[in-house]
Amino acid sequence: MPAIEVENLRKVFYISKKDPGLAGAVKALFRPRFDEKVAVDGISLRVEPGEMVGYIGVNGAGKSTTIKMLTGVLVPTGGTVRVLGRDPHRDRVANARDVGVVFGQRSQMWWDLALVESLNLIAKIYEIPAARYRELLDEFAATLELNELLSVPIRNMSLGQKMRAELAATLIHEPKVVYLDEPTIGLDLIVKERIRDFIKEQNRTRGTTVILTTHDLGDIEELCQRVIIIDAGHIIFDGPISTIKDRFGKYREITFEVAAGAARLELPAGADVIAAEPRTLALRFDRTQTTASQVAAAVMSQVDVRDFSLAEPDLSAIVKQIYNGALQEEAAA
Amino acid sequence: MQRYLNLYGAFLGQQFKSYAEYRANFIIGASSTIMMQAANLLTVWVVMQQIPDFNGWGFSELLLIYGLITLSKSINHMFADNLWTVGRVYIRSGQFDRFLVRPIDPLFHLIADRFCYDGVGNFLVGVVLLGAALAGLDLAWTPLVPLYILLAVLSGGGIFIALNLITCVTSFWIMDSVPVTRAIFDNHLFAQYPLTIYPKAVTTLLTWLIPYGFASFYPASYLLGHDVGVYAWAGPVVAAVLLFAGYRFWQFGLRHYSGTGS
Amino acid sequence: MISYLRRQASIYGAIAASVPKRFLAFEIWFWVGLVLGAIEMMILVFFWRAVYGQTATLGGLSLDQTLTYILLAQVFAALADQDLIWEFGYNLREGLIAHMLLRPVGFQTNYYVQALASLATRMIMQLPMALLATAAFGLRWPTDLAAWGAFLVSALLGYTALFFFHWILACLTFYTTEVWGLGVLVYGLTRFFSGGLMPLAIMPVWLRTLVLAIPFAQSLAIPLNFLSGITPVAEAPATWLFQLAWVIGLGVVSQLFFRVAVRKVTVQGG
Repeated sequence: MPAIEVENLRKVFYISKKDPGLAGAVKALFRPRFDEKVAVDGISLRVEPGEMVGYIGVNGAGKSTTIKMLTGVLVPTGGTVRVLGRDPHRDRVANARDVGVVFGQRSQMWWDLALVESLNLIAKIYEIPAARYRELLDEFAATLELNELLSVPIRNMSLGQKMRAELAATLIHEPKVVYLDEPTIGLDLIVKERIRDFIKEQNRTRGTTVILTTHDLGDIEELCQRVIIIDAGHIIFDGPISTIKDRFGKYREITFEVAAGAARLELPAGADVIAAEPRTLALRFDRTQTTASQVAAAVMSQVDVRDFSLAEPDLSAIVKQIYNGALQEEAAA
Repeated sequence: MQRYLNLYGAFLGQQFKSYAEYRANFIIGASSTIMMQAANLLTVWVVMQQIPDFNGWGFSELLLIYGLITLSKSINHMFADNLWTVGRVYIRSGQFDRFLVRPIDPLFHLIADRFCYDGVGNFLVGVVLLGAALAGLDLAWTPLVPLYILLAVLSGGGIFIALNLITCVTSFWIMDSVPVTRAIFDNHLFAQYPLTIYPKAVTTLLTWLIPYGFASFYPASYLLGHDVGVYAWAGPVVAAVLLFAGYRFWQFGLRHYSGTGS
Repeated sequence: MISYLRRQASIYGAIAASVPKRFLAFEIWFWVGLVLGAIEMMILVFFWRAVYGQTATLGGLSLDQTLTYILLAQVFAALADQDLIWEFGYNLREGLIAHMLLRPVGFQTNYYVQALASLATRMIMQLPMALLATAAFGLRWPTDLAAWGAFLVSALLGYTALFFFHWILACLTFYTTEVWGLGVLVYGLTRFFSGGLMPLAIMPVWLRTLVLAIPFAQSLAIPLNFLSGITPVAEAPATWLFQLAWVIGLGVVSQLFFRVAVRKVTVQGG
């Protein structure tokens, strides 16, 4: 049985339209008009137990609407959802026992309570046997380094501490499927690393299925074997992360600020000029054929360089590229 | 049921811990409700010094009515205050979604999420008023009397909770239901006095549509030996019916919410 | 076919549901405020009718006089309202006080103008209550111009005195974080001591003495006594002088209070 099975899922919202100003409000009162907003437009996917899947897309692409349908918060307009064989909305309670959700920046803990008190309450809500709860609490306290935080109220925690606490609260009932919405947003690198390690560890030891939505390509690279990209309610890519990395992460851009342009540049193999203006020079190079330092050295030996910058491939740019049909082009080439 | 009672105890216990940090707020919150009642009671007391009776009711009898409605209100205030702000605090912020991914009833979760200590002030005022009323009255004391009072207060509390529940469901459509709840809730002020002083329409309203009358006037009348017929015992039934209807309406609203996710 | 119908039904359901939504979004609190005002007015009217069930006069007032007074008190309820405590509390919490002090306008004058403007706004919003009092409860508006004159001057003086009094109370927010509690406390006191629930004449002597010894009644009960004909207009000049004394006294004290209180903020960097 797949962990998640989604067939032709649709979600349509009706949004009332109103012209600005009082006249618009009055007009809308007598002749209401509606826009149909198709948030999710017929997506199908299957996730096997133990998979870690990155679910990405730009804001408004339909990510969180999908997650809300998968968790049973929203009822689909059309299509079917099965999570561990159940309809998550109809079998809301049974489904809730088996899933865990991190809703972005919104904490599931009680603001004024010490972390351990919040966890105790969550243990009661999920009816975790006392002995098992002790065991898990010790384990999480060690792996997430929560020991000194257990007696601290959530409101006094830093962002990183809050997210570590949040993960403990989400996984303490050993859910089989976990939805993580932006678990590392705004965190520094060390905390990010710790959180990624923890998620990896949970997946490895308990076979937890993880659906991860994020804007951070690093999260995806570290955790997921598979990526699903959604845009305007459609799945536009579903496949192994290596495909994306090979095709789009292969190229890097390097931009030079120069005193004067050179007529012709000798460049290492795999590097091309993509834009040349009087004061700036943009190059693209293939990471598999050369390195940034080789490219930079080559350029600097031929022109007077004042400054240069290396652009990391940005996920939203890749998504945009894919949306613009770059993937098909690449595949055809 | 047992599970939910245990859970409620756990929620309550945790809140005691967090409230301990805000002791001053608690005391001021509780006493603020007392101030609100004091103005009305002082007015009643002043006029009752100067007139033989109030539409046939003595001062202690008025206190009985006032005490019963205050106690009923305090049940709602202490245990179900979150119904006021479900839209403003929980739905708008997205916190409500959290309740929907937990393996317990979301309405229970909402209500258990806050025990409102301000209500304790109302409760104490109610107890004092009831005590003063009973001390000043010459009731024929039988074991039935305290039981009847308990039943009246509990059904009164149920009516308050049910009406707030029904009105709070509108927050699934309009986000903030406080104005709607307030417009219905304030009708309980009528029931601070004997319904006999109002025109028929108000009595009918407070009996059949917004039945706060069963939280004060009808049980007080019965205790004082006035003949109010079947209304004397209708309170629990009214409360049960309203609570049931409220819960069904809540489920209907919840389905709409799941449909729109607004 | 069935799914088509269901789809249409859900669209129209959404449309139907959105009509009250948009209607409600339009100043819902204004309408709810009217409902709450109407409930309170009704309760007070029937309460006083019941009080007069056994007696023709109370404290020398007939039922008609008392009802006129009570209805006018409801219509002019805004005279007893001041927002200073909430304003100060808000400014302190948001750290805006220092900012406000830097503005090139008189700090107190600024708030006084605001208070007058909000009084005017509230009076306009109370117009439906005036209509209700007239149409449903037979409020007979006084036609004596002198009574109106006495009322207006007295109301302005009383409102100014109350403004200074609230200013003093608002200065307490510099010393306590319990702004909400303080606000509620003052609200509760205002409810009774402004005289909006009961004419002063009906109160026993000791209570009336107490009410007149604190400023709450100056903005509501005292001016309304002229308008409802309880106090003869001939007594107006004496009353005005008395109120003017309140204004000057409270005005001076409020300045002193503020000077001391603001030192606390500037020292602590609020």
